[in-house]
Amino acid sequence: MAGVVGAAIDALMLSSIYILMSLGFALVLSINNILNFAHGALYMLGGYVCYYLAVQCGLNQWLSLLLAAVLLGLLGLFLERFCFRPFFGDPNRIIIMSIALILILETTANWFAGAGTRTIPSFAHGILKSGAISVSVERMATLIVGGVLLAVLTLFIGKTKTGKQMLAVAQNPEGAILQGIRIRRVSALAVAMSCALAAVAGSFMGALFDLKPFMGGNMLIKAIEVVVLSGIGSVGGILAGGLIIGTLDAVLPLLAGGAVTQAVGLGIIIILLLFKPQGLFGREGA
Amino acid sequence: MKGRYVSKTVACACLVAILALVPAVVKSPYLLHLFILVYAYVIAASSLRTIAVSGQISLGHAGFMGIGAYTSAILAKELGWTPWVTMPMGGLTAMAVAIVVGYPFTRLRTIYFSMVSFFFGIGLIAIYTLLSGYTGGFYGLTGIPPLFLDSKVPYYFFFLALTVVSLLALHRFESCRIGMSLKAVAQSYAIASSVGINESGYRVLALAVGCFVVGLAGAAYAHYIIVLSQNTFDVLASINLMVYMVVGGIGSFAGPVVGAAVLVLIPELFRGLKEFTPYVYAGVLILVIFLIPQGLVGLYQPAKSLMRKLRFGRWCKRAP
Amino acid sequence: MLLEINGLIKYFGGLAAIAELDMYVREGEILGLIGPNGAGKTTVFNLITGFLRPTAGRIGFGGRDITGMKPHVIARLGIGRTFQLNPFFSDFTVLQNVIASFFLHPKSSLWGAYFNSSIYRRNEAQIAEQALAVLELVGLDKVKDDFAKNLPHGYLKMLGIARALAIRPKMLLLDEPIGGMNRDEIDLAMKAIDKTRRQGITIMLVEHNMQIMDIVDRVVVINFGQKICEGTVQEIRENAQVVEAYFGVEDDAER
Repeated sequence: MAGVVGAAIDALMLSSIYILMSLGFALVLSINNILNFAHGALYMLGGYVCYYLAVQCGLNQWLSLLLAAVLLGLLGLFLERFCFRPFFGDPNRIIIMSIALILILETTANWFAGAGTRTIPSFAHGILKSGAISVSVERMATLIVGGVLLAVLTLFIGKTKTGKQMLAVAQNPEGAILQGIRIRRVSALAVAMSCALAAVAGSFMGALFDLKPFMGGNMLIKAIEVVVLSGIGSVGGILAGGLIIGTLDAVLPLLAGGAVTQAVGLGIIIILLLFKPQGLFGREGA
Repeated sequence: MKGRYVSKTVACACLVAILALVPAVVKSPYLLHLFILVYAYVIAASSLRTIAVSGQISLGHAGFMGIGAYTSAILAKELGWTPWVTMPMGGLTAMAVAIVVGYPFTRLRTIYFSMVSFFFGIGLIAIYTLLSGYTGGFYGLTGIPPLFLDSKVPYYFFFLALTVVSLLALHRFESCRIGMSLKAVAQSYAIASSVGINESGYRVLALAVGCFVVGLAGAAYAHYIIVLSQNTFDVLASINLMVYMVVGGIGSFAGPVVGAAVLVLIPELFRGLKEFTPYVYAGVLILVIFLIPQGLVGLYQPAKSLMRKLRFGRWCKRAP
Repeated sequence: MLLEINGLIKYFGGLAAIAELDMYVREGEILGLIGPNGAGKTTVFNLITGFLRPTAGRIGFGGRDITGMKPHVIARLGIGRTFQLNPFFSDFTVLQNVIASFFLHPKSSLWGAYFNSSIYRRNEAQIAEQALAVLELVGLDKVKDDFAKNLPHGYLKMLGIARALAIRPKMLLLDEPIGGMNRDEIDLAMKAIDKTRRQGITIMLVEHNMQIMDIVDRVVVINFGQKICEGTVQEIRENAQVVEAYFGVEDDAER
């Protein structure tokens, strides 16, 4: 029983981190029509910024998390304006730009941080005990904060005026222009939010596990896995997809060897794609 | 005054002739290896462009290279067939897979196709892990029968010949009506359908041809380096191919050729900078995409004007 | 009866865009399909040409059931079309736009095209000639080497017609062929449509601009995805009350 609860918490926690990442990636994909391969590197950067603030500047971890998200959000605005917008309409060159970004970010991180791994101090300490079940408070905290953040985000997109504008641009860019929505504002906001979400995910991972300069690659792949599985159709789809993959990644390694389960998971998704290439919840792509 | 000019065909022939003489001058195995690497990437990037001509940007292309490589390597190693037979079979296998995944994937447009193709490349690597009995898993596949023994020189000529033949084949594909129909499909699948072009069929055709060529190249490469690991044809390789194609110039047939040649050589040239080499690479990428929208081939016209100004006019086609 | 539509129904979600449409097109005639915005006219075109699949109903062409066939197959059977929003091959010149459209007649095999067979070479030579002829018919031969993206709106519409003619259609579906054109362009377009009809091609067109009535033989009025009435131009004009009720202020015929 204890094992099951522990596994469930881990699954949910991992899922929430995956969802944060995937949502960010999907936002930029559907609103800006960009495959932002640098998303993983930004996640890594967010983690390191949080580390720097928490360890070098001695700030409270949660504050560092918030600041890291804000800083990366601002970076996102800069990126959208100077790195993405000049190539509007040319997705190929934007991909090249994101590759260049990865190279710069990862090389710089590698240089500054060196080969050693760092860890962000735990966001919360202690263990919760209830009968035979014990759960790390930190994991619970991550899960809860992640969940709340996602709930807020879902409400923002579904209910607020800006959020609805973002949905409109994602679904029908020309129609959105005709409605008078300022695409530039929405685009910039999307990228900023995407980077902020990546920063949060990176900070969580940095505390729960550790920080490595090249950790972005794997997370980028995870984000793409989720987005490919769920398709671009709804926020709810991403939530479901993130949950599925997060659970698989948390639970399968307990049942069988790591690499094989990864392969099985990916293989299943490929077969699914052959029948439903737009993903489980996606509408027909573009 | 009428000047002579050098036609494109003659220029290419001269280039091939010069390249054929390289082994006579260059003896270092490392440099020959570099050339061979460039040749393999030129073929791969050019075949990627054949697919791109139909409006599909595949970000999993190295995965198909891997299919060709592993098929040929395993058939040759396990069944003892000669590589000269298994290499085309590698190409055909890659083509068969392309056709199978092509039909459903081709329904996706533009960036969604790119994302799914990227994912497909990742999935392939996972599948290789699953089949580690055959593919050697993490430790790699060794003992692949080589094409030639000892020196790199026969490999050099083999790859040069393969490159020339592949490029000729791909160029013809693009310049005949098939290529025109592909370009039509890329520009407007609605109009293309309305004039009778089976647009999804043609997209699959482009994918099949491109993947056959890259599968063949991968198979050839396998029998050259004789050791394959999962990382040989991984995500990085696929991204590299796309970068070579776009930075070289996606609008021109020569683009991927130039892109592959330049971008394979840059990390080698700047190897001395060790961990700062990526900065140079990133710098080149950024410079090209900001300053030369058509890619490196966009430097051709300004270079010709410069040559003309420097009185090398005889070598350039005179402007009307 | 070249084209027959029976009981055509098309739902988009819960909305019936076409709600039981019955109509036909006689061989050799020019049929005008008119109705207010949103009546479903372009939807009918999309359903006939395979860009949309009907929810129910049957479409017959030349005695053959073409319901739900793919667009390129329908093109092969001889139905050509233009598009309302006027897409064009943006990287091609005007001439290349038309040459690319000569995909079906004469048709070369893939191998023939790739290996430059003598049949292929002969076909391509024929296509070059015919492309020029078509451009002359629509009056675009002077701009054949201009890039299509530099063409003014009216010329692009003519280019659309030229492309549709390249498939040697038995029937042509024209979606707003004179929409947004100036007086000279309309003149050119009407002449081209007339020349086309004289070559024996049946035409069905959708149009708001009532000037088109001058060359139309018969009219079908649709609204809310259903046929309201049909008849000759004269009969429809006399049925003015019906027409006005559905057109309201949109009728700019007298302008």
